[in-house]
Amino acid sequence: MRKLVVLLTFLTLLIAPAALAKDDNTIIVGLQAEPVTLDPHQITDFNSSRAAKGMFNSLVEFAQGSTDLVPGLATSWEVSDDGLTYTFHLRKGVKFHDGTPFNAEAVKFSIERQIDPNHPYHDTGEFAYADFTFGMVKEVNVIDDYTVEIVLKEPFAPFLANMAMHSASIVSPTAVKKYGADFSKHPVGTGPFKFVKWTPGVEVIQESNPDYWDGEPEVKRVIYRPVLEDQARLAELEAGKLDFIVNIPPDDLDRVKKLKGIKVQEQPGMHVWYVVFNTQKEPFNDPRVRQAVNYAIDKKAIVDGILQGTGVLAENVLPPVVWGYNPNVKNYPYDPVKAKQLLAEAGYPNGFKVTLWVPEGGSGMQQPVAMCTAIQAYLSMVGIQAEIQQFEWGTYLDKVFVDDYESMAEMHVMSWIGDNGDPDNFLYILLSSEQWPPYGFNEAFYKNPEVDRLLRQARVTSDVVKRTELYKKAQELIMADAPWVPIDHETQIVAMDERIQGFKLHPTGVFRFEKVTIKK
Amino acid sequence: MFRYIVKRLLWLIPVLLGVTVLVFSIMHLSPGDPAKILLGPKATQEALEQLREELGLNRPLYIQYFTWLGNILTGDWGRSLQLKREVLPLVLDRFKATAILTMTSIIIATVIGVISGTVSATKQYSWLDRLGMLISLVGFCLPVFWLGILLQLFFGLKLEWLPMTGMYSPGSEGNFTDLLLHLILPSLTLAAGAAAVIARMTRSSMLEVIRKDYIRTAKAKGLSQSVIIYRHALKNALIPVVTVVGMQVGFLLAGAVLAEMVFSWPGIGLLMVNGILARDFPLVQGSILLVATSYVFVNLLVDLLYVLLDPQIAYD
Repeated sequence: MRKLVVLLTFLTLLIAPAALAKDDNTIIVGLQAEPVTLDPHQITDFNSSRAAKGMFNSLVEFAQGSTDLVPGLATSWEVSDDGLTYTFHLRKGVKFHDGTPFNAEAVKFSIERQIDPNHPYHDTGEFAYADFTFGMVKEVNVIDDYTVEIVLKEPFAPFLANMAMHSASIVSPTAVKKYGADFSKHPVGTGPFKFVKWTPGVEVIQESNPDYWDGEPEVKRVIYRPVLEDQARLAELEAGKLDFIVNIPPDDLDRVKKLKGIKVQEQPGMHVWYVVFNTQKEPFNDPRVRQAVNYAIDKKAIVDGILQGTGVLAENVLPPVVWGYNPNVKNYPYDPVKAKQLLAEAGYPNGFKVTLWVPEGGSGMQQPVAMCTAIQAYLSMVGIQAEIQQFEWGTYLDKVFVDDYESMAEMHVMSWIGDNGDPDNFLYILLSSEQWPPYGFNEAFYKNPEVDRLLRQARVTSDVVKRTELYKKAQELIMADAPWVPIDHETQIVAMDERIQGFKLHPTGVFRFEKVTIKK
Repeated sequence: MFRYIVKRLLWLIPVLLGVTVLVFSIMHLSPGDPAKILLGPKATQEALEQLREELGLNRPLYIQYFTWLGNILTGDWGRSLQLKREVLPLVLDRFKATAILTMTSIIIATVIGVISGTVSATKQYSWLDRLGMLISLVGFCLPVFWLGILLQLFFGLKLEWLPMTGMYSPGSEGNFTDLLLHLILPSLTLAAGAAAVIARMTRSSMLEVIRKDYIRTAKAKGLSQSVIIYRHALKNALIPVVTVVGMQVGFLLAGAVLAEMVFSWPGIGLLMVNGILARDFPLVQGSILLVATSYVFVNLLVDLLYVLLDPQIAYD
């Protein structure tokens, strides 16, 4: 018995310091899963982009909290009248974390590494976003040490926004040459935080960059930890072992908001969740049938009942945080009577049978099974028998991005998370007939020549006012054609220790701690 | 004995070959294209084609299999498609974490199981026996993720005694006591089911043994109860228990993935699940091969333990 007491005392002594060991200038972030890579040019997932963002800059940056563009590693830029040549004037005296000076050569290296198959360092990674970001680039010219010129093949208005994406981050050429394919494990950029250590499955540690061009951050250390279980992550925040977490389970949101010492921040995301019709196949080749389904589904009930405040009702295909959003376009109200009437007009007074493909989960898919079960129930009320077929995410992607619409179900669900804050990134990419799979993401196989014309024109016009008009018009036409049932825009929700001051959520979903302070 | 071990080790070859064929075919026959998952939904058709070519996914399956097998034999376990790291050091490193967790759990489960099983058997139908068996029934039925979350909330959040997730404190270099503290909750969670099975096995085996003639003889000789139980009965009762413990190691290796999930334990189970979702063929194949090999070795070890426990068993 005495031995037991001694042992317990000993253990208590061990535990006590562990609880106190937290450092005041450190932010420990609980991520949903392990980052896959820290090479910004290779990132395709949120966990990696969140863990990597602090270490890198791009020529143009998104402003804190919005997708407005502000100077980053370029202090200013000009666009030629024909919209083909972008000249960037670079910030002087900036050094990468490894001491390499930042200059025009580094910019050229960072872009060409991704797009030129003959570049000596092209084989140091797989650059999934290269074509999306730089597909329109003809050449990158170094004018002098601090001036770089990027020439496009054709005018492409969203280009500047692309230059703020993670794939446009400027990396240290010395480090890429030194580490090769292992650069993803030894990331070197110019950002406010420097890479310290990555223990796979455990954590990524970064420390503040004392030489950061915009001033050393007050937060001295940021640790990104994958904590997979939502409940465990929340419990760790409540216990003070994590300072900042993502993905609060909807059922817990209300309780977390009331917790002492913890604050919750929300922002409607650059995201849309939607039901896709196979518009080339019966019965959904008839717009009246598509409209009927739009009327038949009570979207608000799904948002309130299932998502419980983790999403806002979509009025439109475009999320309201993206410029060019047309506030006059309204989603179809819930009106089953009208739905039945339209179905009867289209020759389906007794409804019909369709298949609805649903993934079990997936990036941006929220709660697909619960949401689709509700959709199925709403459809049955107007006589449409939808048979749900469930797939695991990887399998699902394989089934929906195919060129053969005949092989696809009549309906499936999808979500889209914006990349660069440009309306083109939603409207053209998802709804232009130039973007039919497998080359693009218009899985509805939607085609309206007038919409195509508007979207193409907006793509090559550099005047933002004119582009806004074009996009607003396109949204009206698209919503009338109803190739989708837009359901919601996912709300970004984070919870953090209330001592963290000045944090702003960003529509792209990355976390930026460089301007954050910690109240003592 | 030596011949037996050699024979068993030779048997490993067909077993593991079978495992490789199985793993390889399951991974490659399941739908989902690794190139598409790897490059994300925003990749172009050309990029996908190029990557498939680079990864050798365009070649016939049997060629892919033999290439992979050949590489495995020469120590080249390939590179993880998703994590872009060498598979062998990655799976070995992660397996270490799983092995620590599993071994701690099996030790805890065996100690608890054997003690409570023995107590139950010697005090059959007493309240202690009933309570022990009730607890073991509950322990067996509790799902790992539920018990895990409950323990986290109680010992981590409410009492603040123990860390809830991870293997070491964040940002620390990690020392032994830190590891022990982080081990307590996940290993208890994982041990619960196994302890229950072992307890029940020990009890029934013990009950059988204490009714044997030689125990009656021992009693008649006037030996004390504890000598009878611990020297004569337990050792003989343990043979079926050892078998069960060996099997439990297999279950725990498989079940560890759930505990690893709940406790964010950086083990191989977690790595495998992510690998499967990403269709990361080299990673999943490597992980399963390693786990299967270790399981086969544990089985061999169990068979050898019989000899120590019961000299009547001899292998030729």
